[in-house]
Amino acid sequence: MDKNLNVWLDNLLQEIEGIKFRRKSTRRVRIDVAMDALPTLLELLQGRASYVHLSAITCVDWPDDGEFELVYHVWSYETQSLVSAHTRIPRDPGVYLSIYDLYEPAAFFERDIHEMFGVFFEGSPDMEKFILTEWDGPPPMRKEFDSEAFVNQQFEWQPYHPDWLKELEEEGGGVTTRPEDIRW
Amino acid sequence: MRPENYQAVNHPPSNEYELNFGPNHPGIEGNYAFKVKLNGDRVLEARADGGYLHRGFEKLMEGRLWIQNIALVPRICVPDPVPMEVCYALAIEELCGLEVPERAQWIRVMQLEMSRVAAHLFAFGGHAATTGMYTPMFWGIADRDLILDRFEELTGGRVYHIYNIPGGVRRDLPEGYLGRLSGLLDYLESRLPDYDNLFFTNQVFVRRARDVGTMTQAQALKWGVTGPNLRATGLALDVRRDDPYLVYGRLEFDVPTEAGGDALARNLVRRSELQQSIHILRQVIDRLPEIDGPIRCPIPNPLAWNVPAGEAYTRVESSKGELAYYVVSTGGGKPYRVHVRGPSSMHAVQVLERLAVGSRLEDIAQIMFSLDACPPEVDR
Repeated sequence: MDKNLNVWLDNLLQEIEGIKFRRKSTRRVRIDVAMDALPTLLELLQGRASYVHLSAITCVDWPDDGEFELVYHVWSYETQSLVSAHTRIPRDPGVYLSIYDLYEPAAFFERDIHEMFGVFFEGSPDMEKFILTEWDGPPPMRKEFDSEAFVNQQFEWQPYHPDWLKELEEEGGGVTTRPEDIRW
Repeated sequence: MRPENYQAVNHPPSNEYELNFGPNHPGIEGNYAFKVKLNGDRVLEARADGGYLHRGFEKLMEGRLWIQNIALVPRICVPDPVPMEVCYALAIEELCGLEVPERAQWIRVMQLEMSRVAAHLFAFGGHAATTGMYTPMFWGIADRDLILDRFEELTGGRVYHIYNIPGGVRRDLPEGYLGRLSGLLDYLESRLPDYDNLFFTNQVFVRRARDVGTMTQAQALKWGVTGPNLRATGLALDVRRDDPYLVYGRLEFDVPTEAGGDALARNLVRRSELQQSIHILRQVIDRLPEIDGPIRCPIPNPLAWNVPAGEAYTRVESSKGELAYYVVSTGGGKPYRVHVRGPSSMHAVQVLERLAVGSRLEDIAQIMFSLDACPPEVDR
């Protein structure tokens, strides 16, 4: 396995400039790559190094840097290792290329990221809303969206009268299994 | 509607119509919906419509302490909660560089397999119900309840255990626990022939499920299918074996496969996995008494715990397939970002939409249950 990994890493380094890779453990590799080079990198990983399974695409919001970090986790059934390809795209306008042509599962993750972070993926088959169908506010997973402030604004706090809880506590607590009820 | 209130509508000359399938439907696991386009009872197009179980876990977790999130994660997938806890705990352990004591690792494997058995009993019970056989469903759920009893004794909770904390588990096994678990396994094993007679070899089920929702090996790989659904196309791929975590590398077990790729094959794989899980649990029962030691490693004060900056991607084989957590820390007391990759986010959306095309309306529920698609995992 280790031998295979080294071979394709060498090949990669020759073909793409400005690529940084770090071996985190025997089965985990982190690659940092510029946003222009990421589709090429994934194409190489899939075509030459058998990374055929797209495990997930994660978006991480870094508002202080004005960037979104996109992480593509691809798994190889042959070398049994996972490559996490990290790239950063500008937060504004937040547009990137879809990798649906390479990995079909990308459609779900790209749709999810579009909905939750507002990143638009050009060429993705479906950018319709899926989860937040009736939501017209800002993308909620962005760091500037404060869910507590939203709740305070949307709902009124109710006083809490745990009388039923007092009664339960007087009887000796919640539901417990008696030893004689245990069948084995 | 009363006949006098009926007003004829002029339809365009077509046999096609659209139907809303769900979100409250007995043939669907959890609240989930489809917009189905039909010609007669033949499905022309299906579109998944989720979000009915969206609780915003990923956002909630960013606002809570590392340790508080242990109470949130099992709720992401109701029928199979243990892999969620373990996967999240593994990620924090990787970030902190914690060494989990061996005894805790074995206890975790025990729970993972118990949870797998419970989830599989639930899954084929549900599938039986969609084909009109309610007895296997009642049996499956009744037997699952016996596993929940053991969970209750171990953790205090039947469904949400909140038991696997970073660094180990919350408390040790009760006195005589493994003996009672062994008795339960004997009972479950004695039930397998009954399940075969009633369900897995029953022609009512076999003829109904054969060639329904069939996918080829190439399609399964292309669509990102994992877990029992992938193994039903003949590929022996399992995270437990390919990317071992905890003590799975030291356990003996087979990765069962079937060749069919249809709803029948997927259920037969789950049936074989029941046996394999029981086999693993027996090994745990044999080995666990010999392993002494602490059940968790020393951890900092959980209420003032700053996890070192970094990121971790951990994978676990849940009963539905590959479950993964991507956790990012910036060195604070709360996670910066947690991403949950549930196996059903593939199965319940893209795979189901494709498999449903060309099938019949009454088979949609069957396909969904045969994929063991879990909507709370998709919506998160």
